[in-house]
Amino acid sequence: MTIKRVFVANRGEIAVRIIRAAHALGIEVVQGVSLADRDSMAPKMADRTVVIGPAQAKDSYLDVRTVVHAAKSTGCDALHPGYGFLSERAELARVCVEEGIIFVGPKAQVIEDLGDKLRAREIAERSGIASVPGSGHVESPAAALVAANEIGFPVVMKASAGGGGRGMFVARSSDDLKESFARASGEALEAFGDGTLYLERYIENARHVEVQIAGDGQGNAVHFGERDCSVQRRYQKVVEEAPCVLMSNPLRKKLHKAAVKLVSSLNYSNVGTVEFLFDVERDEFYFIEVNTRIQVEHPVTEQVTGYDLVQMQFRLAAGEENALPLQKAIGISRHAIECRLNAEDAYNNFAPSPGRIKEWGPAQGAGIRVDSHCYSGYLVPPFYDSMIGKIVVTGPDRSSTVRRLQTALEDFRIEGLVCNLQLLREIVAHPDFKDNSFHTRWLEQDMLPVFELAKK
Amino acid sequence: MAKPTSDDIKTLIEQFEQSDWKEVHVKTDNFELYLSENPKSSGPPSAIASQSTSAASQTFDSDDTSPTAVVPVPEASKAVLPEGMIAVTAPNLGTFYSAPKPGAPPYVEVGQNVSAETEVCLIEVMKLFTPVKAGVSGVIREICVSDGQMVEYEQLLVVIEPS
Repeated sequence: MTIKRVFVANRGEIAVRIIRAAHALGIEVVQGVSLADRDSMAPKMADRTVVIGPAQAKDSYLDVRTVVHAAKSTGCDALHPGYGFLSERAELARVCVEEGIIFVGPKAQVIEDLGDKLRAREIAERSGIASVPGSGHVESPAAALVAANEIGFPVVMKASAGGGGRGMFVARSSDDLKESFARASGEALEAFGDGTLYLERYIENARHVEVQIAGDGQGNAVHFGERDCSVQRRYQKVVEEAPCVLMSNPLRKKLHKAAVKLVSSLNYSNVGTVEFLFDVERDEFYFIEVNTRIQVEHPVTEQVTGYDLVQMQFRLAAGEENALPLQKAIGISRHAIECRLNAEDAYNNFAPSPGRIKEWGPAQGAGIRVDSHCYSGYLVPPFYDSMIGKIVVTGPDRSSTVRRLQTALEDFRIEGLVCNLQLLREIVAHPDFKDNSFHTRWLEQDMLPVFELAKK
Repeated sequence: MAKPTSDDIKTLIEQFEQSDWKEVHVKTDNFELYLSENPKSSGPPSAIASQSTSAASQTFDSDDTSPTAVVPVPEASKAVLPEGMIAVTAPNLGTFYSAPKPGAPPYVEVGQNVSAETEVCLIEVMKLFTPVKAGVSGVIREICVSDGQMVEYEQLLVVIEPS
């Protein structure tokens, strides 16, 4: 390994995960922490710790110059950004290169291109991957009808100036469209001061499916299969699994090929994820975006393929020969499901609930993996993301894995801190989840209203 | 309101130490807590005053740029200031410079009188130099860092005896 010492510019469970991978490869670790994280798990494991700034992330974990200065003056030859924070900031990759530090991730230019949503769509289109079909601006009901017939019903009318679901109307037929056009336009005008609308195909039964990829920067790329992350709340993933058993084999092959083609065309280096929306009824997929970093849910892919993706990140960054496995060597066996444990109150509108963990009693047993930085007595600080850990369960197939996960969640004990453990238990025990019959809006539309009602 | 537990108080104190707040005063029917950053604060009657703890409790070897061996950092100099002394700490992580340029005389020396506006050192982050002021008038009693050394956020730099 040519990398001798890495600077970890992140916190929480992913810092712990990176330190483990680095140490396994004989790489020393300098951990950068904010004042609030000085006594957390990662500094206990690192070879050296430096306080890079105050608790507020903006002046510590999000400060490019401070992070690189700290890495350089502690003699690090590489920097791992983890996920979140600066991980997809092209500037960090660029400054690292300028200062002679290996950035464990893709090239700055690739991060920049894929970070721009419109440019990313163009890149995907060049590789023959469609985004969700849509129209330009539609000024009248007649124009909307023409566009809708082209796209195919059902369609959703959206405010050009809008976002966040306001002014959105679903039309299932031309009568529907004529009827609700004026209302949609009026609401858009009221909410955003602009009544201009556009149409998009409405996917009733959508799953969020993503492909884990890795590239060597020379145009070679491979995939590690797909993940299904359709249990979401406000676009935040809650439960993720691999593989997506709902997808037919021919479509799955097409999906993997599309993802590999896209990243190969960019000479992509290091690991990444190509995200898609899977339209179950039409048996089609659409491009969403590419994430140019390791993802929270990477462990489910590790569990079903047997590869250590974070170690692979170091090998690829160091330019090691054979760091990229051959595609034919990568097989997917078994099923894995991950649940995100968050310090938030599911019964109180998901309010963050930082505080001290009195008792941390993770589930244990065959096929159970817990990635976390928590321990009994740890104080979850109020300054950052509320995720306190991930429970990942692996089994021979989906139904046995769901059963194993149910037991593991029942066994998990967290005391002294309000968290979403009970919600996770109820999601996993839900008949829809067991039957694998849910979509990206299921948690918010179907499951949570009943869950919240039952509490009252 | 129920009486807070010792855990509640512990949590409050920790959060206070990690925050930018200067002081916190909590008062209920059967409980009162006062926390202040200012060690000289007399606080409200029957108050518990928490001395602000120095963040930088570790010392560091100067820039070792050869990536060979990491020296585990000793939990040294827990920076207990002698009675009545004022600490000047690093406003950010960076490289400490005791003089405006190499070879020039240092900003301050031990025994020297300073005013609140006197610059005591420079902290550099990626070619951006920030002067650090004494913040109080008095006499320099100790310079805790050597020239060119990396300092962490809130690490103790200079000790001043206020006049």
